[in-house]
Amino acid sequence: MLKVTQTKNALLDGATIAEDLYRTPNDFEEFFQNLEKPDEVVAKPRTTFLRAGVLTTVRGSAYMEYGNTKVMAIVAPPHEVVRASARRMNMGSLNCYVNYAAFATGELETVPRREKQLSSMLTKALEPVVCRNEFLNFQLDVRVLIIEDDGCLLSTAINCCGVALVECGISTYDLITASTACIYRDHVFINPNAMVEELLWKHRAGHALPSSSDDTKPIQEHGLLIIASMDTFDQLAQCQQCGYLSPATYTRLLDYTLTINKGMRQLIRQVLLQRVKEQHDLDLREKAQNALEDQRLADIIERLKSQGLSELINPSNIKEDPYTSK
Amino acid sequence: MAFVALSEAEKTFILHGVEENYRCDGRSRKDYRPMELETGLVSNASGSARLRLANTDILVGVKTEIDVPDPLTPEFGKLEFFVDCSANATPEFEGRGGSDLAQELILALQNAYESPLSFDYRTLCLIPGQQCWKLYIDILILECGGNLHDAVSLAAKAALYNTKLPRVTASLLDAGITDLIISDNPYDCTRLEIGTVPILVTVCKIGDYCLVDPSAEEEVCSTVSMVVAISMKNKEAYLSGSHMTGGGSMHRDTMLNSLNLGLSIGEHLNTHLIKMLKQEEERVGPKRPKTVGFLK
Repeated sequence: MLKVTQTKNALLDGATIAEDLYRTPNDFEEFFQNLEKPDEVVAKPRTTFLRAGVLTTVRGSAYMEYGNTKVMAIVAPPHEVVRASARRMNMGSLNCYVNYAAFATGELETVPRREKQLSSMLTKALEPVVCRNEFLNFQLDVRVLIIEDDGCLLSTAINCCGVALVECGISTYDLITASTACIYRDHVFINPNAMVEELLWKHRAGHALPSSSDDTKPIQEHGLLIIASMDTFDQLAQCQQCGYLSPATYTRLLDYTLTINKGMRQLIRQVLLQRVKEQHDLDLREKAQNALEDQRLADIIERLKSQGLSELINPSNIKEDPYTSK
Repeated sequence: MAFVALSEAEKTFILHGVEENYRCDGRSRKDYRPMELETGLVSNASGSARLRLANTDILVGVKTEIDVPDPLTPEFGKLEFFVDCSANATPEFEGRGGSDLAQELILALQNAYESPLSFDYRTLCLIPGQQCWKLYIDILILECGGNLHDAVSLAAKAALYNTKLPRVTASLLDAGITDLIISDNPYDCTRLEIGTVPILVTVCKIGDYCLVDPSAEEEVCSTVSMVVAISMKNKEAYLSGSHMTGGGSMHRDTMLNSLNLGLSIGEHLNTHLIKMLKQEEERVGPKRPKTVGFLK
């Protein structure tokens, strides 16, 4: 008889496969109680892997892992706008397309809506950083592929696109960096993971509503803030906020994200610098190889000049042309 | 939204006007243009409003439908926004030309209304976990004269104020199935509470100064603008969503200043809007004798 052994549904590295964590408001309360909450605010980026120039098929590409969030950005050189009506008078246009990989997320129904939303927000965030006056009547397409979503998706995409733009050689005003912070039930989450973000969207802070008898209870703020900044001149390229925040809390979250952005900027600079060095090394090596090849050819030519063609022409191969002999 | 062609000289003129705190139409930087607002003029909708802000013309209709609430939020009803950019507004909207703009407006509104603190979704609940109202807020842009975000949100708020949900009584049948009985009397209805419903204020940066309610010409001159959603709760202004638009960047302090400017303007705008809506209702009464306006 076939014996069924219950195996734990686990991946090789010990992580369990995500399931529907909660179905009812009560499950959800329990889930929140068990959730790991940060004790103090540490305004630092997550552990990050970033690499520019990962694809050979396009000019500019970058791959980034921000914690578990994995994103790839692709930038092709600008191409001419075909539709005359879509042309703008004094600026080139920028279009961003965000796509989820089929395995990036468990929830498939909302994907098209989220893709659209992310594309529009990403376009808004990148518009200030690209020198769009340099390619009139041209449009620049930026494509982002989301490989895994574990929160901070938009900010990771912005960081990654910033690097890809530089890699492609598009002129930008500055390096762009972005980060996310959110507040939920008086806990500040820096770089919230997918679970925390989902709590904010799905449950929609129903708990924060005062019951009708108790209007004096202070309002429980909740909300998410995404800031993209260009730090050379302390400029903000985008600040996207949702939820319900008082101006004071907004400023507090803003300052956290700006601190993270500074850290992120260091990292991006380092990566780009390394990339340029790598490229330089590659160029040098190529040059050395070319020089070697040139040298070899020069030697041959030299030899031919001094010895005549005799070396190359073997007399046994030459037959008398039957026609000329007649 | 830049459909107006301006020469450099015209732009400079507007810029200097803003610097002098005296804009082309005589306003200061913190003034709105005159508004016309009427409610309840579409007889087929549960609630409607038409707002004319100088040259910007918006018509909003609210339709109602019964739906099943989300299992995680059993006490909440639903809202859905739809923006239609009519080709009458500008020739650019022909075909699918207005879809980007419409998408942007829908996102801004959804974002602002998302929090249950800004719109009490429990008022749309019929039977928790089983039935709720779903409101479709259809926004039609008839003419574009700048400052669409503000106009659209004000009109949406007015339409929600005007919305009358028929009174529903539920009777419990066997096996937990409920039966809804909708009142026959068209005047027997419930209204929505709009005290905390957010409004959007666009703060536009031209030169070194921030101003509100930009006209279409001023929008062309601006480098960046900030859209702030303001919701009033316990007589305090809260942010229920904000983003930057227009393709420029701002310094942190400028951003915070424009945020505060938006908040204070929004607070005024909100109190005036509610006051005017109440006045209109008193004047017209519950039964509107005849429709005035362009939809005769």
